[in-house]
Amino acid sequence: MIWFLTILLPLMAAIIAPFTPVGRRLSGIIFFTATLPAIWLGLVEVSGVTAQWFILESHFSLDTPRRIILLLTGILWATSGLFAGSYLKDDKRRNEFSFYFGAAMAGNFGLLISAEVASFYTFFALMTFASYGLVIHNRTPFARQAAKIYLVMAIIGELFLITALYLAVQSAGSMLLADIPAALAQAPNGRFIFLLGLIGFGVKVGAIPLYFWLPLAHPAAPAPASAVLSGAMIKAGLVGWMHLAPVGLVEWPSLSLLMVSLGFMSALGAAIYGLTQVDPKTNLAYSSISQMGVMTVILGIGLYGGIPAGLLLPAVALYAFNHGTAKALLFMGTALPAKVGGSWRILMWAGLGIGVLAIAGGPLTGGLWTKYLLKTFLGETTLPGAQTFLLLLTLSAVTTTLLLSRFLHLLSKIKAPSENVAPAFLIPWILLLLAGGWWTMSPILLPAELMNYITKEKGIMAFFWNLFTNWSAIWPITLGAFLMAFTLKFATLNRWPTKEPLLPPGDFVHIILLSGDSVTKVFQKGISLLQSFMQSLNGPEKIFYNISDDKRTQQISNSAEALLRRWEFVGIGFFVFFLTMFFFL
Amino acid sequence: METTSVLPLLILVSSLIPGTLILLLREEQVALRTFLNLSGAVAKVGLIAWVFVGYLRGQEYTFFFRLALDLTFSLRVDQLGLFFAALSAVLWLVTTLYAIGYLEGGKHRRRFFAFFSLCVTASTGIALSGNVLTFFIFYEFLTLSTYPLVVHRGTDKAVEAGRTYLWYTIGGGTVLFLGVVGLFVLAGPIYFGQTEIIADLISVYPTQLSILFFILLTGLAVKAAIFPLHGWLPVSMVAPAPVSALLHAVAVVKAGAFGIVRLVYDVYGIGVAEHMNYLNVLAVFAAFTIIYGSLRALFQDDFKKRLAYSTVSQLSYIALGVAIPGVLTSTGAIVHLVHQGIMKITMFFAAGNVAETYGYKNISQLNGIGRRMPFTMGAFTIAAFGMIGLPPVAGFISKWYLGLGAVETGSYWVVFVLLASSALNAAYFLPIVYRAWFYEPEYEVSRLRSSGRLETQALLLIPVVVTGLLSLAAGVFAAAGGSPLSIAREIAEKLYMP
Repeated sequence: MIWFLTILLPLMAAIIAPFTPVGRRLSGIIFFTATLPAIWLGLVEVSGVTAQWFILESHFSLDTPRRIILLLTGILWATSGLFAGSYLKDDKRRNEFSFYFGAAMAGNFGLLISAEVASFYTFFALMTFASYGLVIHNRTPFARQAAKIYLVMAIIGELFLITALYLAVQSAGSMLLADIPAALAQAPNGRFIFLLGLIGFGVKVGAIPLYFWLPLAHPAAPAPASAVLSGAMIKAGLVGWMHLAPVGLVEWPSLSLLMVSLGFMSALGAAIYGLTQVDPKTNLAYSSISQMGVMTVILGIGLYGGIPAGLLLPAVALYAFNHGTAKALLFMGTALPAKVGGSWRILMWAGLGIGVLAIAGGPLTGGLWTKYLLKTFLGETTLPGAQTFLLLLTLSAVTTTLLLSRFLHLLSKIKAPSENVAPAFLIPWILLLLAGGWWTMSPILLPAELMNYITKEKGIMAFFWNLFTNWSAIWPITLGAFLMAFTLKFATLNRWPTKEPLLPPGDFVHIILLSGDSVTKVFQKGISLLQSFMQSLNGPEKIFYNISDDKRTQQISNSAEALLRRWEFVGIGFFVFFLTMFFFL
Repeated sequence: METTSVLPLLILVSSLIPGTLILLLREEQVALRTFLNLSGAVAKVGLIAWVFVGYLRGQEYTFFFRLALDLTFSLRVDQLGLFFAALSAVLWLVTTLYAIGYLEGGKHRRRFFAFFSLCVTASTGIALSGNVLTFFIFYEFLTLSTYPLVVHRGTDKAVEAGRTYLWYTIGGGTVLFLGVVGLFVLAGPIYFGQTEIIADLISVYPTQLSILFFILLTGLAVKAAIFPLHGWLPVSMVAPAPVSALLHAVAVVKAGAFGIVRLVYDVYGIGVAEHMNYLNVLAVFAAFTIIYGSLRALFQDDFKKRLAYSTVSQLSYIALGVAIPGVLTSTGAIVHLVHQGIMKITMFFAAGNVAETYGYKNISQLNGIGRRMPFTMGAFTIAAFGMIGLPPVAGFISKWYLGLGAVETGSYWVVFVLLASSALNAAYFLPIVYRAWFYEPEYEVSRLRSSGRLETQALLLIPVVVTGLLSLAAGVFAAAGGSPLSIAREIAEKLYMP
């Protein structure tokens, strides 16, 4: 029952919140309530169910990594639902927002609990298309453009995805997602199938080179929607990868190296490009791409073999958990500086600081030790160049700190209200702050196997003591923060753009669009030529009819029609037929 | 057994009699006419349900009537026929309701409803016919009974379209006739399902039977709108919306598609058709039509014309599914008979509603229409997502089976065709959806019809909502017993049983 409620409640919320008077008043509470079954499933293990009537026979169940991500997703939707309830109180399109918000929520929960291909794909599509409504919400030209690019990329992703699923189901001989990794490991075209999935889900994850819609679409949505887009929905692609990747079953050096190097390119490149931006939300979107790059690295290591899926996948999920909660905190935080005044601002800055530290991997945060997990894997893997990658990982902590301190700097430029005020949506924000990433260390989330693996013979307490007194994790952050402060402080060095971004958001999409424009022009010319050609024929399908209608053949056609009317046509048919038969027999 | 054998005939009579009686009525006798129409439609649905239950219990329903020495008029209930008959009956009922609302106050309604009933008689006749000859009789009957519907408006354009329609369909009928007679001469009377007859003869007359196959296929391909024989379909969309809806969803085009299914599965048999390489030819034409229809649809601004080209494209899914041998593709083809029907009828109802309520006929006029007609456009959106192949709408189920089946048989190129078609479907349907929901209405207009608090008349609104929900339900509950998919799967599995 709880499995169905997980999907059904958000769907009901999508109807109740916008279309009933009570719903309109209490939309925050309604969305919060709708997430409760998902949060419950994230905390408590429940045995799976089969719905024989649903789509192509659905199964719902969870494994550890997906349970971790479901809990993350539940927390994010709950808090951002509450946040949206008061943040969008006076928005004229809030009802539409509620509809798409609820539908996307249902899709996001549904895809996480689906254990079989058809329902997974269904909910994935539901989430993708419903969040289109969130991206386009503001209806500004920027939002429309972002939504268009989002949609085109989403459809391209869906096409790759469905192909991958066709092939995967065929080679697994089963619709169950759990059977796919093993089948891909066996199948001769397993790598090809995985590559298709890599591209299909890569669009959602924002992997290089498919990420360019993301810095446009995520900031275009209202703050609470950006929070779930960048915190929760982006992880759906990651979950998709985890479903396909035969971690620990294969040795695919080329694909592994591809993922690891693309991951590091995102991790470093996106963070650096993000520095050129002036909109805090675009900044965060680039940070999301960069962080998803790190998760791509972990999965990529898994494809090299040697590390069992039971250790690696929960680690990816925990990293996602930490990043998701912190990123949602920051995204919702972008709405705060203009509304929070007086002593409340201390709380606000403290919260934002914690969020930034969590993403960068600062002390006492989930970020530090999830990054530590990655370092452990990098230390153990036989992947060539592992030492270089360790260095790159440390470097990425520097760039992330730079990017996010730049984000804080941009927020500090927003004019604060003079009186001592706090908006109602500060409450869900604080809730999220409290529910944040340190859960990653709690036994509720951390599987015992992984715990044993990292603590080895030392006790857990000794492990954490070691971890948090390990200064090697802290210097990159200090360096990043120092660099930012230094360049801001000295006027001669301070070249940070303030009004216009140094480079346009969405980077190379503009190259695509420019070349697309010229291609379109050529294409349109071709089309108009073709059309005039077709018009000269009056449409190819009318040829037959045209001959019958032409002046010159009018006579013949008239007599032919007369023939038809007299039913003698059939007689001629007979005649022709018998002639043919005579010829054959 | 003797008493039940009249049932197939009763199914036909349930629409034949109202049709003829309506012709005898006067134009003003609206109430009586409506009563006749609806009671016929309801009776037909009831009878089919009755037969269906009986069939599931193992009852055999056959009706014979000897026309001449060797020529038998035969009606027989089998699973495939019943499947198609059920589709016709249900959609006829819905469309009748819609037509009553749509034509309210129009002229020549007597003629319209009479031929409307006859048209459905013909398509159920096609569904239930037991042999090739009976099939041909109803196939031609369908041509003649739809002509008055196409030209119903009586405008020059409509008459012109009607003439094109006749040229194509009579031409196709004649070709089909050649094929039917040829088959009779070579193989004797063939009842559907007796594939062993051809299987035995194929080694004796390989050339002749091959030529006959393509003659028959050509005759059927006209109605199934396979390129290059599809020209009548976009032209005849000048007909009133309920006619287009029925024409595009069940009656005419499906008669062709259903005929192709029968030809391959129940006359020649898949084994022969595959062995003789007929299917490859069919597959190439079907695949080309899928892409061609979508490309043409992309450039239409006329709402109904875009839908018409989309029909051309979507119908060939059925032919494509037939052309790739395998249980999964066959399932996809058979289930798409129904899925395409319910989705496309929803779209035509929606287009009709918009045109009747606001007078908008072009897509460029649809800005913000979703806000004014949320239910109509909601149903349209569901159907459009289905056509693109997005779950959980019915179209996804068809595409899933077709694609998976293609992969299974190693016909990877089919997957590319499906993907290209999905992308093109998205490219020509999503702009409509986008305009309807995400554009602000440009200017205020008065409605052409007053409808109180509803967005349009109840009789126009209910059918579109019902078929929209059906399209959704056929996908969401596809795995449940009694769903179109489960029946199609059963039919397909029987086809491949040794």
